[in-house]
Amino acid sequence: MLEEFKKYLWVAKAISRLTLSTQKEVVIRFLTAKKKYLPEDNPKAQVEDILKCALCPNMCRFDCPVLQAAKSETYSPAGRARIAYLLEMGRVSSHDAVELMYACAACSACQQWCPFDFSVDDLLMGVRRDLVDRNLVPETLMDIKDQIVRTRTIYQNSRTSLGLEPRKADILYVAGCTVLNKERIIAQTAMKILEKAGITVTTLPEEWCCGAPLNLLGFEDDFKKFAAHNADSIKKSGCKKMICSCPECVYTFKEVYAKEGHPLQVEVMHTSEYFLELIEQGKIQFKELQRDLVYHDPCVLARKLHITEQPRKVLEAIPGVSVKEPPLTKEHTRCCGIGGLLAITNPELSVTLLRARDSELCKLADTVVTACPACKIAFKRTRNAESRDLSEIVLEGMN
Amino acid sequence: MSSEESAGPAHSPGYEIVYPQTSLSTEKKERILANLQKIVGKRNVSCREIDRLSYSRDYWPIALRWMLEGKVPALPDFVVWPETTDHISHIVRIASEEKIPVVPFGEGSGVLGGAIPVQGGIVLDMKKMSAVLTLNDDNLTITVQPGINGMNLERFLNQKGYTMGHIPQSLYCSTVGGWLGCRAAGQFSTKYGKIDDILISLEAVLPQGTIIRSKPVPKSSTCPRIDTLLLGAEGTLGVITEATFKIWPYPEKRALQSYAFSTLKDGLESVRTILRRGIFPAVVRLYDQAETERHFYSTKKARGKCILILVEEGDRELVDLEEAVSHTVCTDHGGFPTGEAPAAHWMETRFNVKEISEFTPRDVVFDTIEVSVMWDKSMELYQSVISAMKSIEGVIIASAHASHFYPQGVCFYFTFGGTSLTGSPTDFYETVWNAAMKACLNAGGSISHHHGIGILRSRWIREELGPSHDILKSIKKALDPENVMNPGKMGL
Ligand SMILES: Cc1cc2nc3c(=O)[nH]c(=O)nc-3n(C[C@H](O)[C@H](O)[C@H](O)COP(=O)(O)OP(=O)(O)OC[C@H]3O[C@@H](n4cnc5c(N)ncnc54)[C@H](O)[C@@H]3O)c2cc1C
Ligand code: SF4
Ligand code: SF4
Repeated sequence: MLEEFKKYLWVAKAISRLTLSTQKEVVIRFLTAKKKYLPEDNPKAQVEDILKCALCPNMCRFDCPVLQAAKSETYSPAGRARIAYLLEMGRVSSHDAVELMYACAACSACQQWCPFDFSVDDLLMGVRRDLVDRNLVPETLMDIKDQIVRTRTIYQNSRTSLGLEPRKADILYVAGCTVLNKERIIAQTAMKILEKAGITVTTLPEEWCCGAPLNLLGFEDDFKKFAAHNADSIKKSGCKKMICSCPECVYTFKEVYAKEGHPLQVEVMHTSEYFLELIEQGKIQFKELQRDLVYHDPCVLARKLHITEQPRKVLEAIPGVSVKEPPLTKEHTRCCGIGGLLAITNPELSVTLLRARDSELCKLADTVVTACPACKIAFKRTRNAESRDLSEIVLEGMN
Repeated sequence: MSSEESAGPAHSPGYEIVYPQTSLSTEKKERILANLQKIVGKRNVSCREIDRLSYSRDYWPIALRWMLEGKVPALPDFVVWPETTDHISHIVRIASEEKIPVVPFGEGSGVLGGAIPVQGGIVLDMKKMSAVLTLNDDNLTITVQPGINGMNLERFLNQKGYTMGHIPQSLYCSTVGGWLGCRAAGQFSTKYGKIDDILISLEAVLPQGTIIRSKPVPKSSTCPRIDTLLLGAEGTLGVITEATFKIWPYPEKRALQSYAFSTLKDGLESVRTILRRGIFPAVVRLYDQAETERHFYSTKKARGKCILILVEEGDRELVDLEEAVSHTVCTDHGGFPTGEAPAAHWMETRFNVKEISEFTPRDVVFDTIEVSVMWDKSMELYQSVISAMKSIEGVIIASAHASHFYPQGVCFYFTFGGTSLTGSPTDFYETVWNAAMKACLNAGGSISHHHGIGILRSRWIREELGPSHDILKSIKKALDPENVMNPGKMGL
């Protein structure tokens, strides 16, 4: 507060040098003018912040993977904020403008350069909530919402459990929709690692989606229902610690639930953090594994959860493993193209992002290791390198 | 993403257009669209409203304000993304035939409206021509396409162990094409030079479709240079499609220094002496009292003074020497050493651009004005521009720092902020600018050091250039008889 005051002292001093009547006029405008430029109907979007972003020279644009793929001002961070502002002010209303509000990888690359600490996906989330309230959500996205609400998962095959008997345990493993439906190998290896390390683990009889897709798409009420249900079933499991393989699940359970009024009473950890803990306790031990790998930091893990060292330390603990670093690494990582549901909202952009990231990684090693099931699936698609989750490499190293 | 089957409506009624144009007939529009699509493919042409809105403006502060007032500066008819030099050559030929404007667009960070399509037509977004073509270590050069973003270029060079030394504050949000178009200057320019000095050669498409390429040689004496006509032409004389630049090995050492001076004059005198001694720190920034207070409020020793920031970089031994000489000169001129911290603070915060976002919605009109002047007139120019701006009713702040230095003179970078008490914000804005420009011209300065002319400065360009402006007009007429390239700018 004092710092903020000192920062703006020059403005106060400059105003104090004006004549009294001018001072009054300037101060009134300074304090009240912006109301004129904001919508009157109290939207959910933070239009004041959107306006700041719309008036920014796009200082984060060079690192925005969506812009780098689309190569169009419309898809620049401030460009989307400008259309968002016009949309919120009722000055544009086209289908294109609405669709643009979903063209974001929610990767937070923008945030690290932003003088206001904005992540454009947060700004757009409010607009999407308003689009829900105004019944303007594109049909395909409504269908996705309906599917999640109906089947509790975002995937068509609708699997919601690992099929294991729940038991009494301090540790709860939550696989997440993507692992359950597309990458069960990640759950299987994770469970095997924990078993070998002598950890008693339980699972939920039925896993509901953490709700991240609902939240991202602006379906606030539905998201809150999922959060309430999950908070309750996690509590009932009696666990003390919850381990997830999916960074988006970790972020949603840990940060978003708390923000939206459903804080969990248990510790939530990503597998990479927990594996490292077990390695440090001597519970996970490795044999030699000759492998050259390149590690890709998932955006949510690196930038929203600030977990960059743990997965590296886990890999480095395996004798014989050599980990290469791409030029854009750790908190400077680049999105694989799947983030923010981009593969659904804008498949063309998503593929372009994927190709860009994949080409940087494949130059460095034949195996790409990551710590997010969605990233793993993305890199599998290009078939340029073997794509593996951290737990698969850990288990290989233990065998 | 950016494709559209047919030409869309002129605009929806949700906003007013500041520079309205008569719309093209549907038949003409459809014909041009079909031809453009034939050249660059359907996915590289758009008439969508959201795209036309996105290319309706650059970073001209008053035009940003218009957005709040429900206004849009100007709408292009088409947005086109060329992928090759040939594409551009064909596009400008069609534009000449159809007599419609072509406006090159980098990343729209220009601050004077240069990229605004005031007469509609085709906005040519250069972002799909953004490749690094060659890096030559023997020659210490890099050849790139013009749509490459500055930071992405600098990141690439840094990874390979080099720097281009061109680090404008807009590094993150501008392109090489825009730098050349505006004759930009980076913050490290006192050592590395401005973009004009860093350029070796270029390729460009002239308004009638001819492609010219200059030879990449360190210097030649083969007639006047034609390629450099494109520098500072802001897209009015053609489109730059490739450029070769000097690069440097990534600096081995960087030294940070700062000094507080009782008066701006003492600070200026110190820098003048440093440069006379043949020392060229990369960054030299001297702030007047008001700006010292604003940016360095936590440096107690600089209170009520003018702070000088110096950053020397390069070979370790040379940097050590530069640091030592600079220190001696500054202290000899009454400079009080304030240590590394203020320079480090500047390094850390140099890309935090918040003013327009924070002040525009509060009805404060804010802008910066950069001008250049020889040493012997520097103080006079500083004082007269500051008092000219302060004399306008509603001006709350008027301040400056000097940001680029030469053995012969200096660039002053003025800032003003205020609110219109009587007329419209646009009138207020223009009045302050007019006062500053007149004061600058009267004091013998040049009205722009590195931002260029665009729309705003066109009204003083005649006074700036005198009869040379007629020559420029003749050149324009010879190269672009249909006035296709970026019309309505630079008084052309
Ligand atoms: C926050 C901020 C800080 C800034 N700091 C600096 C600074 O430190 N130094 C400085 O010099 N400037 C600075 N500027 C001004 C601006 O960044 C520069 O003028 C920059 O060169 C513009 O680049 P751009 O790619 O954004 O060009 P645009 O704004 O898109 O275009 C600028 C002009 O160049 C023309 N043009 C673009 N590409 C081409 C091409 N390929 N061929 C021909 N003409 C072309 C356009 O038609 C237009 O007239 C700053 C601006 C901002 C917003
Ligand atoms: S979150 Fe990622 S994709 Fe979205 S605007 Fe920011 S950088 Fe771009
Ligand atoms: S996210 Fe921040 S840096 Fe990026 S455009 Fe918006 S305000 Fe500017």
